[in-house]
Amino acid sequence: MSYSLLGRGVSRRTLMLGAAGAIAAPHVIRDAAAQGKAVNVGVILPLSGANAQFGVNSRNGIELVADEINAAGGIKSLGGARINLVVADSTSTPTTAANVAQRLLSQNDVVAILGAFASSLTIAISEVTERRGVPLLTMSFSDQITGRGFENIFQVVAKASVLGKAQFDGTLAIAAAAGQKLERIAIMYEDTAYGTSQAAGLRDGAKAAGVQIVMDDAYPLGITDVTPLINKLRGSGAQAVFPVSYLNDSLQIIRAMRQQRITIPAIGGAAGYVIPDFEKGLGEFAEGVLSISPANYDLAPELTERFRKRFGYFMVHEALEHAVCMDVLAQAMEKAKSAKPDDLRRALQGARFEGGWTKAMTGGAVQFDKTGLNTLSVPVMVQWRNKELVSVWPSEFAKAKAVWAV
Amino acid sequence: MSGLSPRQWTGLALLAALAIALPFAFEPRGYGIRILCLALLFAAMAQAWNIVAGLANQISLGHAAFFGIGAYTSTLLLIHFGITPWLGMFAAAILGGAAALLISLPTMRLRGHYFALATLAFGEVMRVIGNSWGGLTGGPVGISVPFAQPSLALMQFRETRSSYWLMLAALVVVTLVFVAIKRSRLGYRLRAIKENADAAEVIGVDTTRTKIIAAVISGALTAALGTLYAQFQFFFDPDTVFGVASVSVRMAMIAIVGGIGTAAGPILGALFVIPLEEFANQVFSAQAAGLSQLVFGLLLILVILIEPRGFMAIGPRLQRLLRKGDRR
Repeated sequence: MSYSLLGRGVSRRTLMLGAAGAIAAPHVIRDAAAQGKAVNVGVILPLSGANAQFGVNSRNGIELVADEINAAGGIKSLGGARINLVVADSTSTPTTAANVAQRLLSQNDVVAILGAFASSLTIAISEVTERRGVPLLTMSFSDQITGRGFENIFQVVAKASVLGKAQFDGTLAIAAAAGQKLERIAIMYEDTAYGTSQAAGLRDGAKAAGVQIVMDDAYPLGITDVTPLINKLRGSGAQAVFPVSYLNDSLQIIRAMRQQRITIPAIGGAAGYVIPDFEKGLGEFAEGVLSISPANYDLAPELTERFRKRFGYFMVHEALEHAVCMDVLAQAMEKAKSAKPDDLRRALQGARFEGGWTKAMTGGAVQFDKTGLNTLSVPVMVQWRNKELVSVWPSEFAKAKAVWAV
Repeated sequence: MSGLSPRQWTGLALLAALAIALPFAFEPRGYGIRILCLALLFAAMAQAWNIVAGLANQISLGHAAFFGIGAYTSTLLLIHFGITPWLGMFAAAILGGAAALLISLPTMRLRGHYFALATLAFGEVMRVIGNSWGGLTGGPVGISVPFAQPSLALMQFRETRSSYWLMLAALVVVTLVFVAIKRSRLGYRLRAIKENADAAEVIGVDTTRTKIIAAVISGALTAALGTLYAQFQFFFDPDTVFGVASVSVRMAMIAIVGGIGTAAGPILGALFVIPLEEFANQVFSAQAAGLSQLVFGLLLILVILIEPRGFMAIGPRLQRLLRKGDRR
């Protein structure tokens, strides 16, 4: 029998069936494994497209915590249930992000969703999770996230407006500590959605602080020659510059500045400024560059060094905050003694979470208010010092004194 | 529709019954029905694009401009004045039509690549305006349709099923408009322009005027569909609704994959492209980063290589092949 099947008898249909089975096998096996004692947690991140790198960092953070929880015996109040992460790619489009959320909810029975780095993706997902009553834990910054009165959304970091203001306040404070009065600044930003919105925030900050903007220039994304920008900066008399860019353009701008011996401080707005690639791309020129960040790994090395050990680079802030999301969700499960979305929401709303990864946040804990915002989180100013990011402001978190001019 | 035989009528009626009953085969608020909704919406969008591109061969790569105008019009009317999206949809169509008129006046004299490039630029201009005019559009952060309890008046439904029927109705309306135009005088004029614009001009067709009329109808319908999108997703940002890849090119791609210039082409195209994209995402996205997009792209290239004229050309081609086989 088997001979004839392997010989001429193999029909095209059999072959197709076999191929289809082979493709589907990993999914079937994974689903079968999940049926034991496991809680499905959805993870939606941009794993392809412009934000892919941040998405991968975030996934690493979540996987680290989930694996640690599972290794330590799972969720104890649920009889040692394992955390089973269901990871999905949101790409960079909100429509896809929402589709993926719907898929995880109806096909994978996830009890909560973590994600999705970019605010537009997170908001699109929240429109689905809110209508289905499933908690969504996020580290996206946008004010809109907890500003809509949704009941199922939890934001573990400070909002964008707070971050923007801190970027300015921190710069002023560091200048003052160095004996300088900051009066004139320059802004240059990529002409994208991200660049335009960040620049608008900086303008508001400057206005509030009574600081004069002596240069305010947009440049096209992927600019090839930054020399005119740098020449203008030199002539502007600015005391500090805010180059707004995800990554590549800021590398060019800062390299050109330093090569021309312009030593005024450059202050970034998280994103590309606080990842290892920034230092890799700039080498010695990265030294002294400042950036605001919603959290930093040097505040809790005993936790974040575990990330470095496993993945080979320091625990970037998006990985850290997503790790906190995962830990807070696990704590909520312990507390609720349930993995039902409704019970989890009740366990999260207005609650305080201490210990575990929450210690790595600036507040040392997580306290959600009525809107789902973590009220304890405050941004920190970090500075590149010898290939590492060092917290330098506000003083209660500072690990070193900031250097103003390089 | 008078040209159909009784047998074709029966077939059409059966198809309609099937389409209406289809949602009952799905989980009412599930994933499958959501993808079907998007497929129907994109089918309708590609059909609207088909009016100007398929009939007059004016390949527009800027239809996202009208789509975005529609999404923003109804949403802003709802947020600021509490106007129901049902009315907002009509306002959207009027504005979309007006925008199409405005952009058509200078560009409809252009042909081929020049027209495609001009419309592409128009879509991009709208995207930049959407991003920078924060006071009106909410800027790059995007804008949310206010959350409401399920209500027919506000076009927010408890079950995705209701959205499905809405999208289905939209597709039927746009397709009927397409068929009506194709069979009308306007349709013949458009086809005359498509075959040879100079010859059409000589026999007395006001080519520019004809093309503009088609563009205005197409733009108005696309804007109305933008409203439906806003009421389905409840959140959008300028890069999404004014996007080249996410809207403009996708509308064109769906129509081309299905069969440009035919009524069934955009529908077949959307029912293929949208589920395929989701399938690729579902199967491959947990594996290597970006793999799902790669697979999706490769499959699309394969389809176009096999039959550049789209699915609608595969049927006749198969028939020819079979006949050839008979002779042998």
